[in-house]
Amino acid sequence: MTDFSLTTFSSKGKLLQIEYALLAASKGETAIGLKARNGVVLAVEKQPPNPLVDETSYTKIQNIAGHVGAVYAGLAPDFRVLLQKARKHAQVYQLRYREPVLCSNLCRETAQIVQEFTQSGGVRPFGVSVLTAGYDDDGPHLYQIDPSGAYYEWKATAIGRNTKNAKSFLEKRYKADLELEDAIQTTLLTLKEGFEGTMTAKNIEVGIVKSDMVFRTLTEAQIKDYLDESA
Amino acid sequence: MSRGGGGHEYQITVFSPEGKLFQVEYAFKAVKTSGLTSVATKGKDIAVVCTEKKVTDLLIDPSSVSNIYNITDTIGALTTGITPDAKAIISRLRMEAADYKFENGHTIPIDILSQRWADLAQLYTQKMFMRPLGVETMLVSIDDERGSQIYKIDPSGHFLGYKACTAGIKEVEASNYLAKQFKKKEDLHTTYSDNETIQLAIGTLQNVLSTDFKSTDIEVGIISRREKKFRKLTPLEIEEHLNALSSKD
Repeated sequence: MTDFSLTTFSSKGKLLQIEYALLAASKGETAIGLKARNGVVLAVEKQPPNPLVDETSYTKIQNIAGHVGAVYAGLAPDFRVLLQKARKHAQVYQLRYREPVLCSNLCRETAQIVQEFTQSGGVRPFGVSVLTAGYDDDGPHLYQIDPSGAYYEWKATAIGRNTKNAKSFLEKRYKADLELEDAIQTTLLTLKEGFEGTMTAKNIEVGIVKSDMVFRTLTEAQIKDYLDESA
Repeated sequence: MSRGGGGHEYQITVFSPEGKLFQVEYAFKAVKTSGLTSVATKGKDIAVVCTEKKVTDLLIDPSSVSNIYNITDTIGALTTGITPDAKAIISRLRMEAADYKFENGHTIPIDILSQRWADLAQLYTQKMFMRPLGVETMLVSIDDERGSQIYKIDPSGHFLGYKACTAGIKEVEASNYLAKQFKKKEDLHTTYSDNETIQLAIGTLQNVLSTDFKSTDIEVGIISRREKKFRKLTPLEIEEHLNALSSKD
């Protein structure tokens, strides 16, 4: 049962399972990524499905390594799988080369795994789009990995429900020499655009990485400061 | 082949044209076929799980019918859904907990255990060798650092920590009832006493099932800071709580 692929070409030459996986990912909560001159920002909506959920029990923005973080849009369980594989790859690289893994290498390998699940027997594609933000010897990087296994480096991008509007919003505001502090503000503004309800420090997450090569998530208090500044 | 799953998206876990996984959705429906409703609540020093106990045949030994299990001394589980699937999960959880203790020297933290099980559940939604299991698993524990905790893992591989949670056939009604209690008192999950927490769980079930329970109609499991071990309440203790609830009304 597991020796034939479930993702096969349709008579029109399409890989429909991948398209459906992209659809599943595009229904997820919006996430934004923005690369500044001196760092990268990730931000994501965090509205639990039900008011009884303890929102402190989970974080959507996760570290892959000390200098790289990631966020997703789509099926959370699928993201956990990719996260684990990416984390392992980062550690293996570090052990072998005595250097933090290059973002391009990390994303290429993760995207390779995503592609394998669109071709291997007995599995379905991953239903998540992933944004990775990192700072390595080559500087700041923002990558997007799609359920098809395609990956691109972006200056600014969005994934999830509000992709289209968020990306046009970002296109208007992106500048090549943006400083990280301004990038954070722009990211928050973009997230606010498509937000259902009132955006507060409690229902979003923000992660940043600068030249110190430490990817960290902002605390609620820090997010609140940024939101108050822009108000 | 224009449907893309070859029409198989209902039978195996491939995506449907709408981007859904039907087998996972059907697994959720299977949870409700047990006909039971379950509730978990937590308070300052206690976490409680509570569910109906329906013994379908008079000839069955009621002491052998239970959905509440110990995973370790301090972690308890409540399963809602298909009983054989539940027993498979409990076996696996116990094994994971024991392995962790052997390798690391301390009891597995509840969030690690939950994630372990959730990752396995996700596997069943992505690989074709096994179907998703038709069970929602609630895990409860008390942690020295984080206090009382409730985690729920569902057939899709999602797992979350909860202030209170519900599962089963009346899960929405029970969830709404609990949400109302939280509106009245936002921090009840960190301030309620042991008795208040137990009575909240039992009270929620009573409210949504609109019946007056006898002490043998429900089972309740608790893990409290006072007792330090997860155990089920005796019918006498359940009786006391039921009386306390009815005198409140």
